[in-house]
Amino acid sequence: MLTKRQNLLETIRGGNPDRFVNQYEAFMCQDSMFGMILGDPVQMASPFPAPGGQAVNGWGVTITWPENLPGPFPVHDDEHKVLKDITKWKDVVKAPRLDYPQEEWDKFIPGVKAIDRKEVFATVFIAPGVFEQLHYLMGMDDCLINFYEEPEAIKELIDYISDWEVGYAKLLCKNFHPDAIFHHDDWGSHTSSFMAPEMFEEFILPAYRKIYGYYKSHGVELIVHHSDSYAANLVPFMIEMGIDIWQGCSTTNNVPELIKEYGGKISFMGDIDNGIVDREDWTRELIAHEVRRACETNGKLYFIPNTTMGGPVSSYPGVYEAVTEEIDKMSKEMF
Amino acid sequence: MSKIEEVKSRVEAGKTKLVSGLVQEALDEGNSPNDILQCMIDGMKVVGDRFSAGEIFVPEMLIAAKAMKKGVEVLEPHLADGASTSLGTCIIGTVEGDLHDIGKNLVSLMIGSAGFHMVDLGVDVPAAKFFDAIKQNKNVKLVACSGLLTTTMPAMKETVKAIKNSGLTGFKVIVGGAPITPEYASEIGADAYAPDAGAAAEKAKEMVAA
Repeated sequence: MLTKRQNLLETIRGGNPDRFVNQYEAFMCQDSMFGMILGDPVQMASPFPAPGGQAVNGWGVTITWPENLPGPFPVHDDEHKVLKDITKWKDVVKAPRLDYPQEEWDKFIPGVKAIDRKEVFATVFIAPGVFEQLHYLMGMDDCLINFYEEPEAIKELIDYISDWEVGYAKLLCKNFHPDAIFHHDDWGSHTSSFMAPEMFEEFILPAYRKIYGYYKSHGVELIVHHSDSYAANLVPFMIEMGIDIWQGCSTTNNVPELIKEYGGKISFMGDIDNGIVDREDWTRELIAHEVRRACETNGKLYFIPNTTMGGPVSSYPGVYEAVTEEIDKMSKEMF
Repeated sequence: MSKIEEVKSRVEAGKTKLVSGLVQEALDEGNSPNDILQCMIDGMKVVGDRFSAGEIFVPEMLIAAKAMKKGVEVLEPHLADGASTSLGTCIIGTVEGDLHDIGKNLVSLMIGSAGFHMVDLGVDVPAAKFFDAIKQNKNVKLVACSGLLTTTMPAMKETVKAIKNSGLTGFKVIVGGAPITPEYASEIGADAYAPDAGAAAEKAKEMVAA
């Protein structure tokens, strides 16, 4: 039997996996909130609210996580919005410090060293991404309008954010030598990308070429990018920026067609919509049906059956586990 | 291209810095304020249709709505009271427990651009706040509820049920958001469902015309 790591590599390289990669199993390497590497001096200094709480993160963004919601939200009322005028971003936006003494990093290294890298990928969880950071700072409406009205300022701010991310990447690679990174940045809604492919190519692609390029050239084997959305029109850019696995691809993307077109260049993790299975009225039958559909229509290669959630959790208790069990059943049936 | 056609074209293209001046020029040429307003509404319909068809994206829709707003500011003093919102008032909000705003904001912009007066209650709106807004505002023809999370579908259901059972009348309820389907909208008693902001504006117009 292949290890989880070997099985994933066989799957995404068009080899001979002996079962489906089951959701996040190959990335869960530590006992943390999402089972990935989440602790380091930079993250620890940027408060992140627990469910039911509110915190101001290292960028000055107030983030709230109301009880019973699947994730946190930035607060953008007049009192809390960090950046109200993009042209003044240099006066307002201050990136979190990266210059922690080595002793601070050393505290986290034993936990990373303990990871069994033959079995799983030592995977660092990173969020928010560049686009999310932009709208965290100024709100989604202002952010997207500024792509038209103040394109130079947006480009400068993207450079600033992505340079900071590369600085952070240097520290992660130097101290943790991760095998994989799991990087959030939502690029679309359920039915469309937030921006046109041409705009994405001009503004977002260069930032990620830089960030993901750094990781790839410094020993990171896998780039896993989360965007639980439609983004089929952005897949060529995902490939260009070095993404190995797009996690969160919803059914609206027609994943089987994407696999036919791009399998071998990128793999797809998802196709089981949280909107369908992770609901108050979920049933085992519904989940079994969705998992079967996903496994049968997408096949064994370049595809990892998974809910579209950006971590190994579900909004309703039992849903993630039920999906896991149904994938195991499909593995027994199809392999 | 006539001046009025130029206004429409520039609204569609989201030329926020040009539309005010063009509207003024169209007025100076003797075009009727109502015709100029209608051409901008028509322009936004094109924008909504193109968004629904996947030909344009959120920034293009936002910038077009902003351009129209600039045009309406110039036009407003020349219009009869309420002419730019002649289709009535629409109360809109994201239901309780949900903090997503972009989808709701787009729907608000598009329904507003179609000729409604918008009362935007924001996000995380309890049913009671919807009632209060319906009672406190005049000529409410539409209530629009947005929800992006499966966890807030029960709140959507409760909100629609509570509004429908409130005894308040004279308006219809439209719902939307990623996990919402036409079947779910019907099941919870909403009068209509829209899959996106462009479709919401069209549906809103149909509903008040019916």
